[in-house]
Amino acid sequence: MRFQRHDLHTLTGSYALDALEVEELGEFERHLNHCPSCLAEVRGLRETAARLALATAERPPAAMRGQVLAMAQQTRQLPPLTDERPARRAVSRRVRRVWIPRFSVAVAALSVAAAVVFGVNQNSAQDQLNSIRSQLTSAEAHNHALSAVLAASDARLVSSGTSHGGAVTAIVSPREGKLVVVTSGLPALPASKVYELWLLGPSVAKPSGLLSGPRNGRTDPVVAAGLAAGYKLGVTVEPAGGTLRPTTAPIVDMSL
Amino acid sequence: MRQPRLSPGPEEGRDQDLEGLLARVARGDHAAFEAVYDDLSAPVFGLVKKVLRDPAQSEEVAQEVLLEVWRAASRFDAVKGGAMSWVMTIAHRRAVDRVRSETSAAQREQKVAPDPVSGPDDVADAVEANLESQRVRRCLDGLTEVQRESVKLAYYGGYSYPQVAKLLGVALGTVKTRIRDGLIRVRDCMEVSW
Repeated sequence: MRFQRHDLHTLTGSYALDALEVEELGEFERHLNHCPSCLAEVRGLRETAARLALATAERPPAAMRGQVLAMAQQTRQLPPLTDERPARRAVSRRVRRVWIPRFSVAVAALSVAAAVVFGVNQNSAQDQLNSIRSQLTSAEAHNHALSAVLAASDARLVSSGTSHGGAVTAIVSPREGKLVVVTSGLPALPASKVYELWLLGPSVAKPSGLLSGPRNGRTDPVVAAGLAAGYKLGVTVEPAGGTLRPTTAPIVDMSL
Repeated sequence: MRQPRLSPGPEEGRDQDLEGLLARVARGDHAAFEAVYDDLSAPVFGLVKKVLRDPAQSEEVAQEVLLEVWRAASRFDAVKGGAMSWVMTIAHRRAVDRVRSETSAAQREQKVAPDPVSGPDDVADAVEANLESQRVRRCLDGLTEVQRESVKLAYYGGYSYPQVAKLLGVALGTVKTRIRDGLIRVRDCMEVSW
């Protein structure tokens, strides 16, 4: 969908209030890069929105202070963006959207999952992927398997809702034969159960990892290897510890 | 670029203090982060709760936002905007992201009363009775009804503008322009100096 220049300009207000839907968001952000007057207006309107925010101030529970300060003690900070890598500056706006991190890459993958849940079209999914890649090089990628998949030139996003609610998103690199699986909004399971991933071939179901218990509605990214052409990704609910063969019907069964 | 005003209001002064603190936070200064927490936890929690409503979920998201401030402090760029709006943008986006994921949207619908359009009084509800919130309220009161409801549903309600259009029963294009016009009027009314 294309927008008239005039139309795009009137989106400054909605953009400043985070009221664009995902399809328009990518388009508008590209437009912003070429429209200094839009950018200036967005800044002013964001400052205005922040003032609207101040009017809602409410003291959080006292216990939160100690928790946040303690978490900060255990959280590595992002390095500043430097000028030697000018290409990265373009994504600095997006870096702000990043989730809270065990590691930044995981975080980036999670934000994709969230975007996909909202219904991303092909273009913005690609944009998200590109933005993750840009973050990857600047972020401290602790997890090499994860970053190899995300950085693969053939990586693409696949996503599907599950029969239990929530969504499963895979970042798939056929060349690496691997995929990274993230989820959003999966219901929490009792301690006796676990979500198990499967690579489903024509005559085989390969156990491909267990999902962590959802934290803040999300599970930690899992890297699954051994992907071959025609395989699908399945997720089942299994006894804690996982099983070697699926014992229940998949809650999701998606083509990769 | 920032247009300095001759007599900066309290918010501008607060922003400059915050900028200094964020620079220290970026270098790993935990004492500075404590000061940032004390300054920002109420606005962050209040905004997130305004959007999400559920106190437990709001606490969770507010924690994430404040930790993100710690983590990403080096990415704050005063050329691009004020420190307060940087943090509030993170907070609002996180709250909105949470709202727009399917399950929490369903949960929220149950919690939200049948009338999602809050009256002007609601804005000041859980609000610190400070000068700033009175100004906001006065400025919002100066908008037309559609402008005011559009801005409030989008910002405090976390709705996308197509959703706002549906809730208000007006055309998409109308909501787009009302949100922009409304915000511009609030900006001018509040003498935001960007």
